[in-house]
Amino acid sequence: MKPAAKVYTALIMLFLFAPIAILLVFSFNSAKSLSVMQGFSLYWYRELFRDAETLSTVRNTLILALAASAVSTVMGTAAAVGIFRLRSRALRAACDTVTNIPMINPDIITGISLMLMFVFVGRLFGAATSLNFWTMLIAHITFCLPYVILQVLPKLQQMDSSLPEAAMDLGCTPFRAFLKVEIPEIMPGIVTGAIMAFTLSLDDFVISYFTAGNGFQTLPIRIYNMTKKTVTPKMYALSTIIFFTILALLIMTNLIDTGPGVERRSRRTDDGAAAPAPEAPSGQRSRGHIAALIGAVLAVFIIGIIIVGRPKKPVLNVYNWGEYISDGSEDSFDAIQGFEDWYLENYGHEVELNYTTFASNEDMYAKISSGAVSYDVIVPSDYMVARMRSEGLLLPLDYENIPNAANIGESFRGLYYDPDDAYSVPYTFNFTGIIYDANQVDEADTGDWELLWNPKYRGRLLQFNNSRDAFGTAQFRLGLDVNSEDPASWRAALDALKQQQPLIKSYVMDEVYNMMESGEAAACVYYAGDYFIMADAQAPGVDLRFYAPEPTNYFVDAFCIPTCCQNKELAEAFINYMLEYEPAVANAEYICYGCPNRLVYEDETYADDMGEDAMAILYPGLDAFHERYEQTAFRNLPPDVLNMINSLWEELKIN
Amino acid sequence: MRKIIELKNVSKSFDGQKVLDNVSLDIYDNEFLTLLGPSGCGKTTTLRIIAGFETPDAGSLFFLGEDIASLPPHRRSVNTVFQRYALFPHLNVFENIAFPLRVKKLPQDEIREKVSEMLRLVALTGFERRSVSSLSGGQQQRVAIARALVSRPKVLLLDEPLAALDLKLRKDMQQELKAIQKATGVTFVFVTHDQEEALSMSDTVVVMSEGKIQQIGTPIDIYNEPRNAFVADFIGESNILSGVMLRDRLVRFSGRDFDCVDFGFDPNEPVDVVVRPEDVDIVPAESGQLRGTVTSVTFLGVYYEIIVDIDGFKWMIQTTDFVDVDEHIGLKIDPDAIHIMDKSEYSGMFGDYSSFSEEYDELSQAESGAEA
Repeated sequence: MKPAAKVYTALIMLFLFAPIAILLVFSFNSAKSLSVMQGFSLYWYRELFRDAETLSTVRNTLILALAASAVSTVMGTAAAVGIFRLRSRALRAACDTVTNIPMINPDIITGISLMLMFVFVGRLFGAATSLNFWTMLIAHITFCLPYVILQVLPKLQQMDSSLPEAAMDLGCTPFRAFLKVEIPEIMPGIVTGAIMAFTLSLDDFVISYFTAGNGFQTLPIRIYNMTKKTVTPKMYALSTIIFFTILALLIMTNLIDTGPGVERRSRRTDDGAAAPAPEAPSGQRSRGHIAALIGAVLAVFIIGIIIVGRPKKPVLNVYNWGEYISDGSEDSFDAIQGFEDWYLENYGHEVELNYTTFASNEDMYAKISSGAVSYDVIVPSDYMVARMRSEGLLLPLDYENIPNAANIGESFRGLYYDPDDAYSVPYTFNFTGIIYDANQVDEADTGDWELLWNPKYRGRLLQFNNSRDAFGTAQFRLGLDVNSEDPASWRAALDALKQQQPLIKSYVMDEVYNMMESGEAAACVYYAGDYFIMADAQAPGVDLRFYAPEPTNYFVDAFCIPTCCQNKELAEAFINYMLEYEPAVANAEYICYGCPNRLVYEDETYADDMGEDAMAILYPGLDAFHERYEQTAFRNLPPDVLNMINSLWEELKIN
Repeated sequence: MRKIIELKNVSKSFDGQKVLDNVSLDIYDNEFLTLLGPSGCGKTTTLRIIAGFETPDAGSLFFLGEDIASLPPHRRSVNTVFQRYALFPHLNVFENIAFPLRVKKLPQDEIREKVSEMLRLVALTGFERRSVSSLSGGQQQRVAIARALVSRPKVLLLDEPLAALDLKLRKDMQQELKAIQKATGVTFVFVTHDQEEALSMSDTVVVMSEGKIQQIGTPIDIYNEPRNAFVADFIGESNILSGVMLRDRLVRFSGRDFDCVDFGFDPNEPVDVVVRPEDVDIVPAESGQLRGTVTSVTFLGVYYEIIVDIDGFKWMIQTTDFVDVDEHIGLKIDPDAIHIMDKSEYSGMFGDYSSFSEEYDELSQAESGAEA
């Protein structure tokens, strides 16, 4: 080539491939900018594979392309065979022309006409929405079909017409001859046609745009919708992948087309030598192998995308206290499974409830505020609701989606932590009280907070292992304000706790059950509801009893939706479900705490199940609840006070 | 001899054009029968009717006495070797030959045994795994024959199987085919336009022209006793002259009376007279029965082919004696070199070498053209 010709060729190549090169380069850009290349990174590729919605449209596109190419390959091959066998030359020419029309016809006309037809036929059958996956599939088959025919027909014409005759002569029925001899002979055309149909379907935009229903989106349409906002470099990554996929298909087609069929005709020689000539040239064979390899890699890739991109069940992440839901253990009602079933029944699709638990409000708060997790429903206690609300960590509830909130009793509305009930729906309420073993403790020593400071029971008393509750016992005993911001008041409470410390067997939370049930400890302070669980499991020779000293701390745990929620409507559906009669009763019976749901506390079955004594302890006059609660509930305290409490608590624990 | 195939008054037209016109033919067991004729004579159509690829418009076709005219090809126990072999390119040599056996779902052991027997017959043992596209034309030919014979058909139909081979290979294959036919005892129906091939291989030659059978006979009969001008011209070279049979054993042509050996004609009946070029002796002009001038001499190795102008009619003579162009020579024809035929529709169309060179061109075109 002359230098000028070389330069010209280079320019043409540049012109053709520069856009793709730029796309390719920027898909590896570590920055989002389109103007600055900041460094090599696979970030956007990772992002792409994390984007569930894009993956699902890629999957849609691939499924559509596979289905359309499969159907149009079979139909197109059959049509080509039909046309080839037409006796009349004029009819054959007419068929040729007619099949070419859709190829020359502008896409936009094909698209509009197909849409019209689908809508028309849909109306005819009275369908409300006539466009869906199937209409799109039909549309894609329509425009793929001529390309398959175009690929297969020449292969039939090139085929030695005596091949099928030979097969029949050797005993095949005409159909069998077609399968065993004609199909293998025209296979390169069929494969090329299928690949062409696949790529055409893959990147069709115009016709898809007109025939797509609202539930089924393909990739070109999604990318188009994106361009209205900004195209993220994720799309460069995707486009690059698609470019190389198509390139691989193209190489495959070329390898197939210049494969054995062409070799054969040029290699016919009449040397007549009886000695075996060397094997067929290895180049021809390895080309077939390369084509097969590319095909296999692509197939794995496509199947992978189809599997990875499949729409997952929406997942609802619920973050709750341990042992705080009826979970199906010991023949109880399974509220988790119950929700999944209820959701499928009422909303028509599956959902997965991912239930995780926390041990304290503070743990939960730390997790949520870190921003590293995403939960849809959490169940903080009252003061934590107030804190998270003030820090903007909660989303306001949409009561449209929680009609069962009407079941909440009047006494439990407008509590201090959420005066307008905008962010929370109460789940349980309870109060702290003292549980003692009547076989160890004298009845005379009971009735107030003094029991926990009674040296008679040295080494047999249990105290809360959580600062707010532990300080509370001392504050109630001393008649101090549990929500005081005065350090002196807290210091006084600490002194009381220090004074108590030598009597204390151990600071406990969940360990309290074992120690009380076994009679190891004589008395403890804990939540009223838990008394029933201990009493149920007490060892022989242990006689656990309960009383509520005056005053004592009342508290409420409530459902909230944190701002990290991924699926608010689903979260609200969950809260709504938990307020239904069956799960609410089951939970109340399982947890044994007071339930603010009228459907529960006014229910006779529930009252029978719980027993008269328990009902008396758990629901000691609901009319007075609101007032009593407002007086004794822990409030959220300013951070410096909380810090002080923490350091005081640590001071106590170090001893 | 047992009659295997019988065509009775078979006619066939394509697009209104008559390709076969009332053809009747008997084919016998163990026979090597050749359908010979120029392209368009209907020989391939006859073959395709026997194979079942075409159905006759009229007439009947019997196979061992049973009418099979409407039986599809795969139900007939005849097999075909196609002009371009029609080997299946996607199968190797073994699988091509095994194809009809696999269709019949024979057990693998039996298939292997039969295929190797066939490969031995056509001398291709060791080629089993080879791709058919890597074989030479002759080898492909043998694979096609093996494939057609492996299921032991009663009749093997061969459609110009040697046409695509070069001359040397064609001669070898002729011998080989004949040997295979003898070894297997299968009836061969062989289609060719090459009269030499037909004569050298066949037990029976059927000469066809324009959809009709012109003559059926052994090669020697056909050559020595052609029934009409077409056969005489098509089989070998012939000088065909219009003459009159004066009486038994005396014929008049070229303005002179000749003694001959034929008899049984009406007195003064017009006849066609055939004189083969090799049967004419060249003598000095004065002692010749006929006299003429040499117009061309072609050296053909074993002999010279010379054209002699005798009163405007050009004779072809093959001789080992050298004569020169423009030389005045005499011709001598023995009585047994003269063959007398009835007048036919072909009278006057052949046997004059005035336009020899052009006719030669036409002939070579016909040979290279594909048979309809």
